[in-house]
Amino acid sequence: MARSTSSVSNAEILHRPNIASADVQLPAVKNYEQVDNEITGTLHPTKAWFIGLGAAIFFLLIGAGSWIYQIYSGLGVAGYEPPVMWGVYIITFVFWVGIGHAGTLISAILYLFRAGFRTTIYRAAEAMTVFAVMTAGLFPILHLGRPWKFFWLIPYPNWRYLWPQMKSPLVWDVFAILTYLTISTTFLYVGLIPDIAVLRDRETNPVRKRIFSILALGWRNTHREWRHFAKAYLFLAAFSTPLVLSVHSVVSFDFAMSLVPGWHATIFPPYFVAGAIFSGIGMVFTILIPLRKWFNLQHYITINHLDAAAKLCLFTSVVVGSAYMQEWFIAWYSGLVHEQQFFANRIWGHWWWASVILYLCNMVLPLSLFSQKLRRNVTWLWILSIFINIGMWFERFVIVIPSLSHEFEPWQWGGYVPTWVDYGILLGSFGWFSMWFLLFIKQLPVVAIAEVKEIVKPRFRKDRQQMTDSAGDHHVSHSALQGSSSHGGSH
Amino acid sequence: MAGIVGAFHELDAAVEAIGVLKKKAFGELTVYSPVPRHELDDAIDAPVSVVRKFTLVGGLLGASFGYWIAAWTSDYWPLVVGGKAIVTWIPYTVFGFEVMVLIGGLATVFGMFAKARIPNVSRAVGYDPRFSSGHFGIYVDVRPDKYKDVEEVLRKAGAVEVRVEND
Repeated sequence: MARSTSSVSNAEILHRPNIASADVQLPAVKNYEQVDNEITGTLHPTKAWFIGLGAAIFFLLIGAGSWIYQIYSGLGVAGYEPPVMWGVYIITFVFWVGIGHAGTLISAILYLFRAGFRTTIYRAAEAMTVFAVMTAGLFPILHLGRPWKFFWLIPYPNWRYLWPQMKSPLVWDVFAILTYLTISTTFLYVGLIPDIAVLRDRETNPVRKRIFSILALGWRNTHREWRHFAKAYLFLAAFSTPLVLSVHSVVSFDFAMSLVPGWHATIFPPYFVAGAIFSGIGMVFTILIPLRKWFNLQHYITINHLDAAAKLCLFTSVVVGSAYMQEWFIAWYSGLVHEQQFFANRIWGHWWWASVILYLCNMVLPLSLFSQKLRRNVTWLWILSIFINIGMWFERFVIVIPSLSHEFEPWQWGGYVPTWVDYGILLGSFGWFSMWFLLFIKQLPVVAIAEVKEIVKPRFRKDRQQMTDSAGDHHVSHSALQGSSSHGGSH
Repeated sequence: MAGIVGAFHELDAAVEAIGVLKKKAFGELTVYSPVPRHELDDAIDAPVSVVRKFTLVGGLLGASFGYWIAAWTSDYWPLVVGGKAIVTWIPYTVFGFEVMVLIGGLATVFGMFAKARIPNVSRAVGYDPRFSSGHFGIYVDVRPDKYKDVEEVLRKAGAVEVRVEND
């Protein structure tokens, strides 16, 4: 067995067409110790990492400065102008919530479907989810005139006996996003516990060892721990799966529950969920493709894994594309003049260029992934992912701005021009997200050590026997045979 | 707490040792493994985890609480809109579902912690850092007069190291 594998080179195996099944293997990874050494080896900070972190903090400071200016001056500096009272902040909120969907899709849904290619990419996607939802959670607060009153949305006992309107989608949003953030963080942390135990056992610095000991909660890899861990992980995945679908459905209700043209459509929940997963996979490519190169993890996150993820990306793109087409049909079939005019305005109106970006990036360019050659071209995947990120931000732009600026009657129509404060906070959100992600990848393993070990073949006694035999073939000596028999393990 | 621990390079060696130790019933076994393996589960033959019961109870409590908090707060501070019902189950299913997932998920993790006996940062008897890397380990909680017998079983199965552990 070992000999037949070694006759095919690793590079050859890595470039074979993908088989998207549960038994996706890592031919270049030979044993558990190699997994530990190579993945924990990525944790040492480098000069490039410090530069990246510095840039992220710089962008974050731009965002923080813009927000301070907005708090001091009032929301008017953010480009809001009646009737467009939702702008870049709500667009970016939906954008980041969407980004946060791929992580749980990859870690939970693909886990339940036993898609083997998820194993090496899910940790980075899960961390991305948590930080994206943390970023998204800032935007409803940034959007408030008095951000220090944000907790009024949460139903807590208060002296005024005043409760939020439980029939409002905005309150549903609070529950959905907080639940998603809590469960995603819990899922990430639970999956990390065995890996933190590996870090604890390898750490030589006493302070870091103590920190890892506390974070690992005394995890010792016992059969009892693994048994309950596996069951808990399965149930968390089972809970997270409908949660992923519910969260963006609830976010879509923020729009669909209103009567505004372009928003009032029953297709919104599935359309938003598919869009969220699509954008999330786009961001996974944006992050993972450079990361696997910088960390020399090409033999873990293989071309086969990227190929399988690209198929998922193509599938969600097709779903989103057909939703775009169905929106047109719904507008025509509804017979409502406001709805029809809104969609005509989408193409021939003031914001036509945003629609072109949206359709091109989300619907046309991803069709290239029907080509296996392009699915396995890492450079193209990365370039495409940037287009997808841009396209998905503009999808939310096209949903929010043209609808609000072109409601029922001409006297209601208006315009919208984002200001430097909007752009500053948008930039700051990327800085905030990148800062957390960069801190994460140098403190904790970006590839799940324990789960990767699960797909690496463990050592068996026959392997030792084969090694002994092969040593015997090359160096026929009595001492080698005596040595093997004296161990007693290969009896 | 005292006993004897054996470290194994090979999975099948550990599985064989578990089989013999279970048959001879020297004492309670704790098996260490860098990854969960079905071969070990089959050899240990442990009962199914009860974590699912925590999930069920947490989920039911969460769903009940989600519906209740929405209904109670609406009833306590009625916002009457166009003669519509003050309490209505369809929109409140969002709260029922989200809180079910929240409490059910957290209860699952609590159940795992409780049954796996973590957090327990100071416990280390029988553990070796190699067990999180590439080795399998078997710790047998056994009286000192049986140490020799257990050691013989472990070594015969292929343990690369056997040592006595004291609390």
